[in-house]
Amino acid sequence: MTREYIDGASAIARGALKAGCNFFAGYPISPATPILLHMLRELPKVGGVGIQAEDEISAISMCIGAAMSGASAMTATSGPGISLYSENIGLAIMGEVPLVIVDVMRMGPATGGATTAAQGDIQFVRWGTSGGYPIVALAPSSVAECYTLAQRAFDIAERLRTPVFLLPDKEMVMSMATVDVAEYEDIEVGKRPLVPAPRAGNGSGVKINAVTGRPDPRLRPEETYLPYDFDPIDAIPATSPFGGPHITRFTTSSHDEHGFLTKDPVKVGRLNDHLRLKIENRRHELEFGRLERHEDAKTLFISYGTTARAMREAVERSHESGEPASGLTLHTLWPVPENLILAAAEGHERVVVAELNHGQYRREIERLLYKHAAQNRQAPPEILGLNRVDGELITPEQFLEMTP
Amino acid sequence: MTVTQVSTTQAKSMPSLPRLEEMQVVYKKPESLTDAHTHYCPGCTHGIIHRLIAEVIDELGVRERTIGVAPVGCAVFAYEYFNVDGCEAAHGRAPAMATGLKRVMPNHIIFTYQGDGDLASIGGNEILHAAGRGENLTVIFVNNAVYGMTGGQMAPTTPPGMVTTSSPFGRDIQSQGYPMHITEMLAIMPGVAYAARRSMHSVAEIRKTKKAIRLAFEAQLKNLGLGIVEILSSCPTNWHLGPVESLDFIRDRMIPIFPLGELKVHEALKQSK
Repeated sequence: MTREYIDGASAIARGALKAGCNFFAGYPISPATPILLHMLRELPKVGGVGIQAEDEISAISMCIGAAMSGASAMTATSGPGISLYSENIGLAIMGEVPLVIVDVMRMGPATGGATTAAQGDIQFVRWGTSGGYPIVALAPSSVAECYTLAQRAFDIAERLRTPVFLLPDKEMVMSMATVDVAEYEDIEVGKRPLVPAPRAGNGSGVKINAVTGRPDPRLRPEETYLPYDFDPIDAIPATSPFGGPHITRFTTSSHDEHGFLTKDPVKVGRLNDHLRLKIENRRHELEFGRLERHEDAKTLFISYGTTARAMREAVERSHESGEPASGLTLHTLWPVPENLILAAAEGHERVVVAELNHGQYRREIERLLYKHAAQNRQAPPEILGLNRVDGELITPEQFLEMTP
Repeated sequence: MTVTQVSTTQAKSMPSLPRLEEMQVVYKKPESLTDAHTHYCPGCTHGIIHRLIAEVIDELGVRERTIGVAPVGCAVFAYEYFNVDGCEAAHGRAPAMATGLKRVMPNHIIFTYQGDGDLASIGGNEILHAAGRGENLTVIFVNNAVYGMTGGQMAPTTPPGMVTTSSPFGRDIQSQGYPMHITEMLAIMPGVAYAARRSMHSVAEIRKTKKAIRLAFEAQLKNLGLGIVEILSSCPTNWHLGPVESLDFIRDRMIPIFPLGELKVHEALKQSK
């Protein structure tokens, strides 16, 4: 067995590079700085570009520009920085820009605790830009998962053309851990759908749409495809990078299939439904997590990130104590992995959601399990929160105290 | 204390030595500083700059109506060290927060204390527009060529070729650009009443720095516009140099890029000099 002593920041950076990341921009901020330094050091060696931006607004803007010209882009930040990213998160959603955003969660609000672990950005990343459109968020709970989920983030970002958040907490990124290198799992990383090369017309005078291969009277004279044309509504539109073989345009305002600003209610409504449905309708492909179920368990623990490490120890110890509990580690936080959670909760009398905030994800568990119970005319399990916001981690003992 | 231990014969041989009750305090901790121990690293010149500002506030007699705005950066705890009202702004936004304070309380004296990462990088827009509006503020701009608090990353003021944690191969002007001369840029703006660059590398320069700080406060007292003093400061920890070598680094590596002197002095300030 080959082992190494490594921190989560290095594992995230390595996973990103393995996934083909060739552009990184960031601004120094604890505890995300180690990722910035790793990428600035390593990207030039593989022909990539790493930039220390003048601020976070610039950092994410650089990444969006790079991604729109075809690069595989990542940025990393924390509390005050993710707050500054807000406007551009919306821009990336609107432009359907593949982008990986690492938010290393630290104590908030404001500068809070720069080197204090927290898990307080769960709802922020989901709703943190105006309009309220869905994103994808993944949370690693071990150093090896930092590596693998960084790759998965790129895979989802590319295939769904969306910003994907990787949500480790400060402990996950800055703490060193011994890792069995066999735990590093590589996955196949997809690429955004690209438009085939332009085709000549068939002489009918109607231009050929390079995506469909058919004449398309909607095409303007200079156009060879429609950059924001989606059929069916949840399809991921094929794209051509800026500077590529096709004319490609984008406005950050509500746009039509050409990428031009529109106020046509039919087109605006269809665009906004598309932005929601392209993720909502794929939610079941995005359910990642790990369930340790015990048939005699009355209690199910649910957690993510660093907190899930304590949970797994508690689950192990609960088996020895004769009062066994089950444990669900969530790797996907957004969209909510409903099937995974419903299946895990099945047969348990009590669900304990543990997190380093005031119960941000418990809201989702309650919403899901209460709704499910109401629809099926069943009694829901008791749902309890195990929460800590004093900068200390939740301990295995605290988990065990929550069992009856 | 010393006087009481001096023997009679020694006292006779030093007739000029006054008796304890006749002695005057000629050097003391300014009233505008608190008793707090600072967290600054050994050899860092932030502490001296704090003292100079406090001395100026004392001398101008404005302590009761002074408000300091601390940055995000090494001086993040400045509000704890100055015996005046103090608040911290979001990273880079001190001039904007100070604008809010000053517009509501025009008779108060508002100063910001910002590092080069805070002022020249993320806060570039805020300082530019505070100067553009000619806000009556005093800006203390501490330039130590790196981001100190986050671990010595390259700043807009880092000299070419300098190795930092985020320029591990040395600052490459082709990809990482040139050091930025913010104070020169501000000096050409009509809203700026006083702009100077000073240094902490020698006693003589420290004394000149104090004069510059005083003029930057006087500009505000006279409602002339923005006063800014850029101060070349040392960072032994992140430069990986000893305290003395750090002062040499300011002299030999920074001053050639960032020449010292007054870049703008409003006419109404010239008689104060």
